[in-house]
Amino acid sequence: MSQYTNIIVIADQIQGDLRPVTMELLGAASELAEKLGVKTHAIVMGSQISHIPEVLIHNGADEVYVVDQPELKEYSTLTYRRAAITVIESLPKPPHIILCGATTLGRDLAPRIAAYFETGLTADCTELDIGDYVHKGKADPNKTGTFNNCLYAIRPSFGESLKARILGPWKNPQMATARTGAMIPFKTDTTRTGKITPMTVKFEDSDFRLKVIETVREVSSDLDLLKAKVIVSGGFGLGGPEGFEVVRDLASAFSESAVGSSRKAVDSGWIPYSHQVGQTGKTVRPRLYIALGISGAIQHRVGMSNSAMILAVNKDESAPIFQFAHYGIVGDLFEIAPLLKEQFKQAVPA
Amino acid sequence: MSDGLRMAVLIKQVPDTSSATGVNPDGTVDRARAKKMINPFDKFALQKAIEVRNARGGEIFVISMGPPPAIAVLHEALEYGADKGYLLGDRRLAASDTLATAYALYKAVLYLKDIDIIFTGLQTTDGDTAQTGPQIAERMGVPQISYCETMEIEGKTVKATRIIDGGVQRLEVEMPVLITVANSAVKLEHKRFANVYKTKQALRDKDALADKIFTVDLDEVEADATRVGLVGSPTVVGKTWKIGEKGGSCKVFKGAAPKHEVELLVDEISKDERGVMEFVL
Repeated sequence: MSQYTNIIVIADQIQGDLRPVTMELLGAASELAEKLGVKTHAIVMGSQISHIPEVLIHNGADEVYVVDQPELKEYSTLTYRRAAITVIESLPKPPHIILCGATTLGRDLAPRIAAYFETGLTADCTELDIGDYVHKGKADPNKTGTFNNCLYAIRPSFGESLKARILGPWKNPQMATARTGAMIPFKTDTTRTGKITPMTVKFEDSDFRLKVIETVREVSSDLDLLKAKVIVSGGFGLGGPEGFEVVRDLASAFSESAVGSSRKAVDSGWIPYSHQVGQTGKTVRPRLYIALGISGAIQHRVGMSNSAMILAVNKDESAPIFQFAHYGIVGDLFEIAPLLKEQFKQAVPA
Repeated sequence: MSDGLRMAVLIKQVPDTSSATGVNPDGTVDRARAKKMINPFDKFALQKAIEVRNARGGEIFVISMGPPPAIAVLHEALEYGADKGYLLGDRRLAASDTLATAYALYKAVLYLKDIDIIFTGLQTTDGDTAQTGPQIAERMGVPQISYCETMEIEGKTVKATRIIDGGVQRLEVEMPVLITVANSAVKLEHKRFANVYKTKQALRDKDALADKIFTVDLDEVEADATRVGLVGSPTVVGKTWKIGEKGGSCKVFKGAAPKHEVELLVDEISKDERGVMEFVL
């Protein structure tokens, strides 16, 4: 048996559907667990979710703690906090690592869990690993020492083109969140078996101070950016909301396509936030990403640089996007985009 | 006003990475030389608090944690219309991570006593974790509404909507509450000339700001110094490295007639082994 305790993934489900980030975290967690010689556990919370534990096991979990109670039908900070903390505290020893998606749920919940356990939390990691760490602190001599098999939580430092490795080996659980699209999911195996442990949580009155009156989900006609194989994105170079006509038109030339945007275009009110790719938007990894009039600042780059192929159209040859795109064309996007559509169609036999 | 709300707005001074000053050619920031600004996300929080106060009455206390020059963001907050500014400044705070920062700010909010609403921005542009707000709420034992887009106040009840992935949630909560304000929640207004003028005037005469801007240290807010700074932070930055530039690998088409360039480009892409042509309709 390993000297380390297990890894826990907090699953993110909406109305019985697991979010992609959960599968990705299970993939990452399984790799970390193998290095540590421990198991991957998952916590799932909700109401009428009896079908979910099996899916989690097929996707890499060895044991699933299930809190299936009507109070958890919709996410609310305080009820989910209570449920997660109850499960974690029921374990004989604190888990070595806890991972959570950097979704609106994870970003709301994980900081509270970390603060409750007085432990470290690294946000929006793009890579996770296990390794050793030597701390030589003069200012904090109590922390000095050599630590084996700590969580390496690796994240970009925005506004600077740096990556940073964050460590917190002094206290378990070591916690991190990761964004959708950043990690590779576990390869689904429907023959995998595991243990399912139902848990009951006793809520306190104060957990219901925050009342969820209603949860409204958009029925979006746009294909989800996270699932699209081809994304055509527009930036500030579009000049206005009407510029997105060109983006949509080019996207219509591809199957499984979606329209994306840079933050500047969203902040200018040209297109809804749900289309935003980048640091404060979505992280995507399509097969083809076409960037029209997007300069490629680090904030955008971190959301799309994992795309298999990046094609950039920009009139400014010195735009940073040409440093990491695979193909680029320098010119007026309003002229180039329709030509691209025509040429792509011509290149494929009808 | 006795029935007015007591609101705290937490703001941070961050390096202005859009400015050339202090940004090294390799994209790293020289924090000492960099131009400083109020964290852009915090302006939405401040604006929201001002809207609430103007509609409902009350007082806005702005808190910032940072070294002495960070007092500039408090001056700026007064120019926007805040009532009072508190700088939580103490050498022992240096190198605090989010958990330690949340502890210190929580103590500063308690110091102000009986705060009804704590407003924060969604995140900062330098730390960029979006964790500090919820962690302060956890320490205070109060609910939070993160990604808050709209809010109405009736008595001490806040009715709000928050953005969630793929939709919105309508929530109701009794104060005290912490709210992280989405950028889409307010339209930023310019500083009011009268406030700018008053603050500028006051800055010339230090005493005039004595009842508006305060500097407090850990002892004054009764914070435990072992829970902040390097000593009180559960995380450290172990190592940083530059994000690998794939410079030069981009095949750029330019110069000739656009139609010709596009033909060459698509021809090249159609031969690329990454295989994207299967998606062309």
